Amino acid sequence: MADSPEEIHKSIKKILWVGGLLVICTGLTVWLSFVELPTHSLNIIVGMILATIKAALVALIFMHLNHEKVIIYKFLFFTFAFVLALFLLFYFSSIDPLVFSQF
Amino acid sequence: MDIPYTVTARPDTGLYNAKVGIWLFLASEVMLFGGLFSSYIFLRVGADYPWPVHELNVTMGFINTLVLIGSSVTVLLAWASIKLRKFTAYKVYMAITIACAMTFMVIKSFEYRAKFTHYSATLTDGTILTGHLPHGFEIEFGGVNELTLTVAGRKSAVDADPVSYVLPYIKGDAPKFKTEDGKEITLDANSFAQLRAEAHGKAEAKAKADNMLQVPNWTIKLTAASPITFSFPPSKLLAKPALDAKSITFRDGTLIEGKIINDKMTLEVDGVDLRGTPEKDKSLAWNEHYLGSVWKNAFIHQRDEAIAEFNKEFNDGNGGTTRDPTKSASQQKKLFYMHIESATPAAHGEEGPKHSAEAHAPAEEHGAAHTHHPELHLERKDVLFYSNFTPKLNSYYAIYFTLTGLHGLHVIAGASVLAYFLIFDGRRLREDPEHMANRVEVGGLFWHFVDLVWIFLFPLLYLL
Repeated sequence: MADSPEEIHKSIKKILWVGGLLVICTGLTVWLSFVELPTHSLNIIVGMILATIKAALVALIFMHLNHEKVIIYKFLFFTFAFVLALFLLFYFSSIDPLVFSQF
Repeated sequence: MDIPYTVTARPDTGLYNAKVGIWLFLASEVMLFGGLFSSYIFLRVGADYPWPVHELNVTMGFINTLVLIGSSVTVLLAWASIKLRKFTAYKVYMAITIACAMTFMVIKSFEYRAKFTHYSATLTDGTILTGHLPHGFEIEFGGVNELTLTVAGRKSAVDADPVSYVLPYIKGDAPKFKTEDGKEITLDANSFAQLRAEAHGKAEAKAKADNMLQVPNWTIKLTAASPITFSFPPSKLLAKPALDAKSITFRDGTLIEGKIINDKMTLEVDGVDLRGTPEKDKSLAWNEHYLGSVWKNAFIHQRDEAIAEFNKEFNDGNGGTTRDPTKSASQQKKLFYMHIESATPAAHGEEGPKHSAEAHAPAEEHGAAHTHHPELHLERKDVLFYSNFTPKLNSYYAIYFTLTGLHGLHVIAGASVLAYFLIFDGRRLREDPEHMANRVEVGGLFWHFVDLVWIFLFPLLYLL
């Protein structure tokens, strides 16, 4: 955590830079979405990569996850394990749907 | 009692307590939105219709993204200002953050409103017409001489309530009715309460006389002095009326007999989507009493241009194309989706003034010269399904409203917390600025999370 005035001033500079970067990334995402890539899936992949970069910037810099205490990372580990479990629940239900043809 | 570790770190976690708390809360939020994003993925993969791309207002979404990014920056600057003990700057940055949140919600509400007032009608052949219903959609039902009201004997979901469910839909002046025993009444809350009490009395007497276990329903017949015409949205009925319905039942169980006078839906068309129509050239939309051959020609012209453009852009040098046009969603949209932005199609340059004169002819025929869109009177038999752009239209709009609605609630909640800090926490700011800085940091963490969710929502719903 930045506490001394010099460090705070430095972090303000960083915040403004990241803010600018986020704006640029957003503009890029909008522009790329109108560009016809070979397949639409590719558009989605590129768009999601850009969104992930933006999300990473927010999480790491704005939310200080680049230097956080271990306990926060432990929380997040379990969080993403549960998110994955939720995702898999959807996945399993979609590959094994109820079929009533045997009735 | 003081809450411990609001400023200094707790030795075992290394953090002040509020920070551990907010991260636990954010963890639950990640799981909530994670589940919703998962459902988005599977709804999209399983969709049996072309998934809407660029169908929302991209400009508004883009502005909202910038607004949220800006507010994320200012909330951090507000925190840094407290650390530097610049209290005025803190207040300014915090106020900007809250103003950004309000701007976001205002823009969002304009987007929602546009969707609520925009309609989509699927015709029986799969053609989708979009547009506005200038007069709503109302069925006119006339020649009604008698109202049959059913007063429920016991507490029942359906109980006669003509004052709320029937009277509002009568066209013209309030009619006079005659009761079964020949009294002449004007139906209103008072006279109905009296009728109802009488009916209930008779039902109870019958129940007693016949030794019935429960009081039976009792019908009241009211004869109109002169035939009445009703005009109502179909949603006000118990069930969708048949095309040639001779009787209809209102939501309160009141039955009327007569005939349908007019059940045409007036739609100011702003788009024709033929992606789901097997035979695009024979679509119902091209019927002469709908859009007609003028628009059909405009559609064919647009399609031919799009095909030529596609063949040129993806030319593989051997007369074929490097891309399969049937696999390109944007190409399918260009080919089979036509925006209608004028009452008549724009004349094609190369076909000279004669054609444009022809193209203008139908406008007067439809009486739509004063509008910017052709006004169609869709017959109910041709309409399979219609809805405004709300969750019931398709699963795209269902997930759109769920995700953005929930996100909007988070914006309101986050902004309320920050506004509380700004307005009611002035004493803490002066007396314990370190504690205040921590509070703002925690509120800010939530605010960044709101921004983070939007970072994914914007491309997923607006762009891709």
